[in-house]
Amino acid sequence: MTLNEALALIKSSAGRGGEKKPHYLVCGFEPLHLKTFLSAHLLDRLPASGVGILNGVYGDLTGNLSSAAKSSALAAAVVIEWGDIDPRLGLRSSGGWAEEVKPDILASAAVRLSRIEAALAGLAERMPAAVVAPCLPLLPIGNTIRAQSSIAELELDQLVTSFLLRISRLPGVRVVERSRFDGVPRTDRLDAQMELLAGFPYTTSFADTLAGAFTEVLYQSVPKKGLITDLDDTLWSGIVGEVGADKVTWQQESHTQIHGLYQQMLAQLASCGVLLAVCSKNEQTVAESALARQDLFLKSESLFPVCANWEPKSQSVGRILRTWNIAEDSVVFVDDSPMELDEVRRAFPGIVCREFPKKDPAKLWALLCELRDLFGKPVLVAEDRLRQQSIRASAAIQEMGEAAGTDEFLAGLDATVTLDWRFDSSDLRPLELINKTNQFNLNGRRIGEGEWQRYREDSKAVLSVVSYADKFGPLGKVAVVLGTAEPGAKGRGTLKVSHWVMSCRAFSRHLEHHTLDSLFRETGADQIEFDFEATDKNKPLQDFFRAAGIAPDADGAYRLSRSGFSPPSTELPHHVVNLTK
Amino acid sequence: MSDIQERVVRCFSNVFPDLPADEIPRASTASLPAWDSVAHVTLLSSIAEEFGQPFEIEDYEELVSYPLIVDRIENQTRHA
Repeated sequence: MTLNEALALIKSSAGRGGEKKPHYLVCGFEPLHLKTFLSAHLLDRLPASGVGILNGVYGDLTGNLSSAAKSSALAAAVVIEWGDIDPRLGLRSSGGWAEEVKPDILASAAVRLSRIEAALAGLAERMPAAVVAPCLPLLPIGNTIRAQSSIAELELDQLVTSFLLRISRLPGVRVVERSRFDGVPRTDRLDAQMELLAGFPYTTSFADTLAGAFTEVLYQSVPKKGLITDLDDTLWSGIVGEVGADKVTWQQESHTQIHGLYQQMLAQLASCGVLLAVCSKNEQTVAESALARQDLFLKSESLFPVCANWEPKSQSVGRILRTWNIAEDSVVFVDDSPMELDEVRRAFPGIVCREFPKKDPAKLWALLCELRDLFGKPVLVAEDRLRQQSIRASAAIQEMGEAAGTDEFLAGLDATVTLDWRFDSSDLRPLELINKTNQFNLNGRRIGEGEWQRYREDSKAVLSVVSYADKFGPLGKVAVVLGTAEPGAKGRGTLKVSHWVMSCRAFSRHLEHHTLDSLFRETGADQIEFDFEATDKNKPLQDFFRAAGIAPDADGAYRLSRSGFSPPSTELPHHVVNLTK
Repeated sequence: MSDIQERVVRCFSNVFPDLPADEIPRASTASLPAWDSVAHVTLLSSIAEEFGQPFEIEDYEELVSYPLIVDRIENQTRHA
């Protein structure tokens, strides 16, 4: 994006309705073009919203961090430059960097970075903060030629790297990967004239790159949930049905490491909670015999289900989607055959289909990087590790057919439903559920981390996070209700529910009934008003509303009164635990 | 209106979206309150990008009105 394109976009977006979403650009320099580009990139990323950019004063990064923490901003973009770490490292300083000064520069840099860290911790408690470490070239402080690192430069780098490691562990802080800017030489990032003239250090093209990176990190795409892989010439080299299970290869010594690398990538994804399944044109027993090999680079139990047959692959993919109970747009399909990819793509246009480049390591490298981006998420939560196990349990229950719906079956589950009414700002799982769940979702509306934090600060907010466990194992946190209770609601009032989501893994357990029951009990509200909106995907919630008799009243509002609420015809046999403050 | 003038007007319009188009030819730092130091640097950066011609530091002090900016661009273009 050029500066003029950014300015034109901002101008054309001036008429966007609704409240402007405030963001804070925290830096120690004059924000100038970076503010323009950040505004434009955010407008591009948030097409339904207006965007406002707040900023602080020149030369006081730490103070600006504190100001941002007190602001109404929903997210912060924080840029740290060498001059913020020590003013003598900036172009506008006259402090010098002679040898005798360097120990003092290093000592002061350590102190300043600690102060920045403390201020960042305060900021990140209230909103997500994307942080960029110094990306401008250092002043020529080294005593060496430029081709040789100097001790002072290495010590500064070490201070910064150590600082980044510390802040990356702060909840809410997202460190922008420095290699993201590798495509721009450091010398092309600095606009020395603009720095001396106006206190703004970046070229416009680099300001655009920076703003794009901030937006990408603060507003990440919803990660995919599952990957379906082919076997022959994809997970391994060779046709297992022809050469046999012991002859397919994926190792360096057989020059088929390209498949081994792919296996290791899948193992990494599985360890992060990504669902993996197999879709292969093979005999089931033949495929399973190769998957049973002990030298596979991923655990074969990570692959579920394994669909090996001679049907069109789209049919197997459909079966896998039903087993996982997730939407096609949450899934990636990898196969070496363009024809198979095309067949699946036609049946499921929402699936991301990628060709396995069995002869091209450079393309494999690109595929692995793309998979990281498709499945990457800011933080891993405990539920990520439970997902595969719970999908297997759900599949086992599905296989029981109608027997799984009986009172006897439910009673035999020995289930515990836990409703946690406490607001833990460091736990992002409830927010993840709100932003990932499509089917049992009150209205499909998503919320950002900053808005989430504002709910936490709202004394009227009511949050219930529902966890579930039974004899098949824990599902973890699977449902969230978020709303507001008007003052006086205790006893007789209305609880307005703005968000209600439940993971598809928890369907058929009557958790929704427990949730409503507990909402009435814990809030004391006389009625619950749902901010319902039909979407293309929330049919399961619509079905539940229909079954529970929740329909629009004369005002068009979806309300459920305490007297009108009745548990389902079956008993609710679960053990219920409420965790309150 | 010449091509240069049209392009300069477009830059003005992006930086000062509330300024009516017919007032742009008379705009100057003295007459337009919104033309502060930040807007000045933004405007000249926008114009430099539009014409692919960077300004010198001293230009930032001299180019304080629409006519002066248009004159400078026309001169630069003539001597290019």
